[in-house]
Amino acid sequence: MSRSSYLGDDTIALHSGYQPESDHGSRAVPVYQTTSYVFDSVDDASALFNVERGGHIYSRITNPTVAVLEQRLAALEGGSGAICTASGMSALFVTFFSLCSAGDHIVSAAQIYGSTVTLLKHTLKRFGIDCTFVPINDPVAVANAIQDNTKLVFCESIGNPGLEVSDLPMIADIAHQHGVPLVVDATFATPYLCKPIQYGADVVVHSVTKWIGGHGVAVGGVVIDGGNFDWLASGRFPTLTEPYAPFHGMNFWEEFGPSALAMRIRCESMRDIGAAMSPHNAFLLLQGIETLNLRMQQHIDNAKKLIAWLQEQDAVAWVNHPDLPHNPSQSAAAQLFPKGAGSMLSFGVKGGREAGAAFIDALQLSSNLANVGDSRTLVLHPGSTTHSRLNEAELLAAGISGDMIRVSVGIESFKDIKADFGNGLRAAAKMADKLAQQA
Amino acid sequence: MYIQVNGQSTFIATGGKTFDTSLPTVVLLHGSGLDHRCWALQARWFAFHGYSVFAPDLPGHSLSQGEPLTSIEDMGAWLVAALDAAGVEQVHLMGHSQGFLMALEAAPLLGSRVESVMALATAAAIPVNPALIDTAKADTSKAADMMLQWGFGSDYQYGLSSVPGMQPIGIGQRIMTNNPLATDLEACNNYSGGAARASSLTCPVQVVLADQDRMTPMREGLKLAQTLGVKAQIINGSGHMLPMEAPQQSLQAMQSFIQTLK
Repeated sequence: MSRSSYLGDDTIALHSGYQPESDHGSRAVPVYQTTSYVFDSVDDASALFNVERGGHIYSRITNPTVAVLEQRLAALEGGSGAICTASGMSALFVTFFSLCSAGDHIVSAAQIYGSTVTLLKHTLKRFGIDCTFVPINDPVAVANAIQDNTKLVFCESIGNPGLEVSDLPMIADIAHQHGVPLVVDATFATPYLCKPIQYGADVVVHSVTKWIGGHGVAVGGVVIDGGNFDWLASGRFPTLTEPYAPFHGMNFWEEFGPSALAMRIRCESMRDIGAAMSPHNAFLLLQGIETLNLRMQQHIDNAKKLIAWLQEQDAVAWVNHPDLPHNPSQSAAAQLFPKGAGSMLSFGVKGGREAGAAFIDALQLSSNLANVGDSRTLVLHPGSTTHSRLNEAELLAAGISGDMIRVSVGIESFKDIKADFGNGLRAAAKMADKLAQQA
Repeated sequence: MYIQVNGQSTFIATGGKTFDTSLPTVVLLHGSGLDHRCWALQARWFAFHGYSVFAPDLPGHSLSQGEPLTSIEDMGAWLVAALDAAGVEQVHLMGHSQGFLMALEAAPLLGSRVESVMALATAAAIPVNPALIDTAKADTSKAADMMLQWGFGSDYQYGLSSVPGMQPIGIGQRIMTNNPLATDLEACNNYSGGAARASSLTCPVQVVLADQDRMTPMREGLKLAQTLGVKAQIINGSGHMLPMEAPQQSLQAMQSFIQTLK
């Protein structure tokens, strides 16, 4: 098993990456709200710039507070290194940018976050990188989509918003048979529920804005290098296995091996693109990560209760969650998510889109907004918001119906979530009756 | 760079610069189950400060082909063959743990070609618990976990890193898991000639130890220093994986030793 710490996850979440600093003995991780760092000498500066020693130069590239978060996340996921970024989308971008060049190709799951679809389908295409979208749990479709110029297979461990669980071991096997890595966006799961590297993933990406931060106060992302992929044997990755001119011909694979990708992202993307996480955000996210495991269990407990309750309500047309027996990926969910396949669920109310809108507008405790993974319960209508740029066919491929309401179940007292949803369902039922009368 | 040694493709890390036999050569020798990457930062410093770096992956390790060598004596002879293949004459040998034992065996074969020897986190003998060897034979990954949990000092167990964002335990785990750890450990365990070889060294020597070393306890390193007639330099807060745990402190020790020789 790939590990990078021998502490328990609860301990890692609290301690990893930091020991009280020598100057003042601060028990909590301090915020190094600084742009730059004094060099001991000209030689010292030269050594830092030439990667002859570790340390900090400028906070666009590294920062002591951000580094604690990076090392903590790498330890939680069992990776060899991590790079934090300004957002989850920038984490995805620097990953694709570091592995692909013009003329290359990506195979991606079809059921993924709408902005990621846009990145893969439109933005990267402008740079000459093409993408084929496939039903990710169809092994034949995945294998057939891989081309000579394919550089990675991408999926979300739990798809957003269709909640399809990716069969990571199967997908990783296919990718590896073709000499390409598996990149997994594990935002919906967090390492508390599933560690993709243990199931064959080579790179893990998170929007740490969501459950990892957990409080809806800071945007951020992370790329975790699994450290297991043999970039040289693959023969497809000149960005990692051939000399890199801006660093005097540095060969990342030869010099850094298991952390080659993380070092490439650090040396190139953070310098040239500069999508750095702010130190203050890193501090806020560290506060969140300390209670990740406690919060996730409450998220899961509330989600299970809400699923059971919604299934009993007359106003509800359908409920979807990967743990439910009718969900096509239930067996994968049971294998990969033994504690529960996340706290996202979706459901439809009888009466379609209008009734769904009535449901959302009647809520008081739950918030209608475009985020997930807050401690508070959040709801959204994906078809008119996060996925509104997709056409009908793309919406269908992404597993989105017009009546779908996406719920990110929070950690409030369940009785209050239930009461709030009860009010919403009553409003939805009224709207459904009205629509029926009009018809 | 890749060279042929005894008919096998062998990887020699050169610290990011083209190898130049006209410069003083620093030979960096890795420990059991590891590879040249444990010297990643130190290699770059030497390469960009007037030295040629020669940091091989032993046969069957990481980027080098071939069957792993089963004895320290064979490793010493192999190093001489590798240096000959690269056209290297004078060398400064620096070895971590098993790498130092290898240097001890290479030194009499190299004779006056050895300018100096440095021992890092090591001893004249490295007995290995048979249970660890048996585990490594059955499950390299599990044995690597045992070694890394034992081998890294306390700060690193808490996820600290000299290189921001990286996890040296994770890096070490990936390297060790894919290398012939059991063969290396058995070679260390079977080696008994270290004290005699050490006492016969005539070149300048230095010993650098880690105060939290539990693989080759500091008391054994101090005995080695006594045999060599030198005062060991102690790096506090580090465990056995000294080159990875304390790259800057170990580099400073290496720098000051080699610069003293000038």
